Amino acid sequence: MPRRFVLAGLTAAGILCLSVVASNQVTRVPGAEYDSDFPNEKPGPAPRRDLSGIWEPARGPGDAIQANGAKNMPDTGRPEHQLPFTPEGLKANLANKPAWGPRLVPSALSNDPQPTCEPQGWPRIILHNYRTAQILQTPKQVLILYQFNRKWRNIWTDGRALPVVDDVLEPRFWGYSTGRWVDDYTFVAQSVGMDERTWLDNVGRPHSWEARVEERYFRRDAKHLEATITIDDPTFYSKPWVALDRLPLRLQPDSFDIREMECSPSEFARYQKEFAEPAAGVASETPR
Amino acid sequence: MISRSLRRVLVLLAASALFPIVTAAQNYPKVSSPDGWPSPSWEYPPLTPQTRKPAPRRDLSGMWGPLGGHMGGVQAGGVLSKPNNGRPENALPYTTYGLELYKSHKAAEGADAVLPAENNDPRNKCEPLGIPRYNHYNVRLTQIFQDPTKVVILYHYDNRWRIIWTDGRKLPKLIDGGVEIDGQFREQRIFGYSVGRWTDDNTLVVETVGTYPEDRVWLDSTGRPITDQVRVTETFKRISLDELEWSETIDDPKVYTKPWETMRLQMRLHDPHTDVMEYYCSPYEAEQYNHFFGNDASGK
Repeated sequence: MPRRFVLAGLTAAGILCLSVVASNQVTRVPGAEYDSDFPNEKPGPAPRRDLSGIWEPARGPGDAIQANGAKNMPDTGRPEHQLPFTPEGLKANLANKPAWGPRLVPSALSNDPQPTCEPQGWPRIILHNYRTAQILQTPKQVLILYQFNRKWRNIWTDGRALPVVDDVLEPRFWGYSTGRWVDDYTFVAQSVGMDERTWLDNVGRPHSWEARVEERYFRRDAKHLEATITIDDPTFYSKPWVALDRLPLRLQPDSFDIREMECSPSEFARYQKEFAEPAAGVASETPR
Repeated sequence: MISRSLRRVLVLLAASALFPIVTAAQNYPKVSSPDGWPSPSWEYPPLTPQTRKPAPRRDLSGMWGPLGGHMGGVQAGGVLSKPNNGRPENALPYTTYGLELYKSHKAAEGADAVLPAENNDPRNKCEPLGIPRYNHYNVRLTQIFQDPTKVVILYHYDNRWRIIWTDGRKLPKLIDGGVEIDGQFREQRIFGYSVGRWTDDNTLVVETVGTYPEDRVWLDSTGRPITDQVRVTETFKRISLDELEWSETIDDPKVYTKPWETMRLQMRLHDPHTDVMEYYCSPYEAEQYNHFFGNDASGK
């Protein structure tokens, strides 16, 4: 057999072997693409009292997009996803005209503050299009840097108490947050004072001035963190409800480059004019 | 031999003696709040040879505020080093295109300001400001965080963050409409692509390319232009424990005939407990402002 055919055959066999190996093993490229979970992985133990790092939904970048509402309670119309609205809460909910979910209206008729680039605030930043986030820790703070609109928020860990929610307190889009370690691997933060103009999620779930949001992070192992969000708002909901239930996040390499995801009012206005308004059969100013 | 209890007393005495020294080492403005949420103070204690402490090595971290107080980094009249006030020494080296672009901008501030309702500043519609304008728009309390791979700047305005890589990666190559990284095209970014390197133990030099084009962003609030061909060089110099100098030079051959210094901002360290109020941009509120005030002021 001519030598070149032998070499070609060996090369083909090699490629075949490599492709089999590749299909059975790791298909990720750390640092270049999202570093996601893979079978039979055995991450090391969780570090003590440490949330720092770049985190991405472990089941893939789209796992926490939540177009149809908070991931644990999407607005599907099913009884199990019915929220415990108070009459006041239901009224506020119906006043919101979302462009998503069973109550959707054409986007040109929606009054969702987010697409027009109003500050989406806390907790919607984690219940809307939650992708990569970097967590920084200092001795006094946990700082979270979100990919969407490159916004940061601060959770104080210096022992200060939450402010009293009264008529004097200045509303903030990101609220007032304090947190503490309840054990070496569980960090719990509480937030109050969120501006009532913000929605909780894409389908227009509202919150009142009395809302309190609990976020719980459990550091499961060296590579994973779980995020849980609970809404406690007795004015609008008759009991607390879980909006995000142990969402698994995976640690990305320190060198991971978080790409931009920006909101531009002029781009949205152009979209409204060229697509959304003709689709809705209207040709007026963007309603709010 | 010293007994265990005596040793404990001695340790406590030593600690109590040391504590005032540690406290005295901080030259923050004094802040206080009975509820634990202290507002910023801008009364900087004077630095003397006795109170000025050496800068820590290769460390910019902390909460920093302009030495000039809460208005010290506002820059409503244009970038700090060249305010737009019509004086000859502040005239910029525009190219023909740069001057044409400047004249097309209707700023609400500066020597050529128009009435509020007539301005076309992208900021007033809450468009992203871009780098370098985030450095020239209401710089107030700014938090800097460091880890071994990066420096993170947390701007007060609009709760925006920015990464400066210090892990040795190269500055991307500027190409038409974006940058090239590892032979591949990458998109333009509002914050560009920034890399930094320590030129000595107290000086970080940062370069940024790959920013937004001139139809999206301005350099400052007076309508000076900036383009996606700019190379921004920032120098962060930690002068002492409590002092930081943040300077910036821009090289944008599309609109300026030569590089020029835009800023040399002196900053002081603040108490890390300080609660930074929100400073956001709301398109709806901007529209309401124009409706109730700006348009009236412009006779519209």
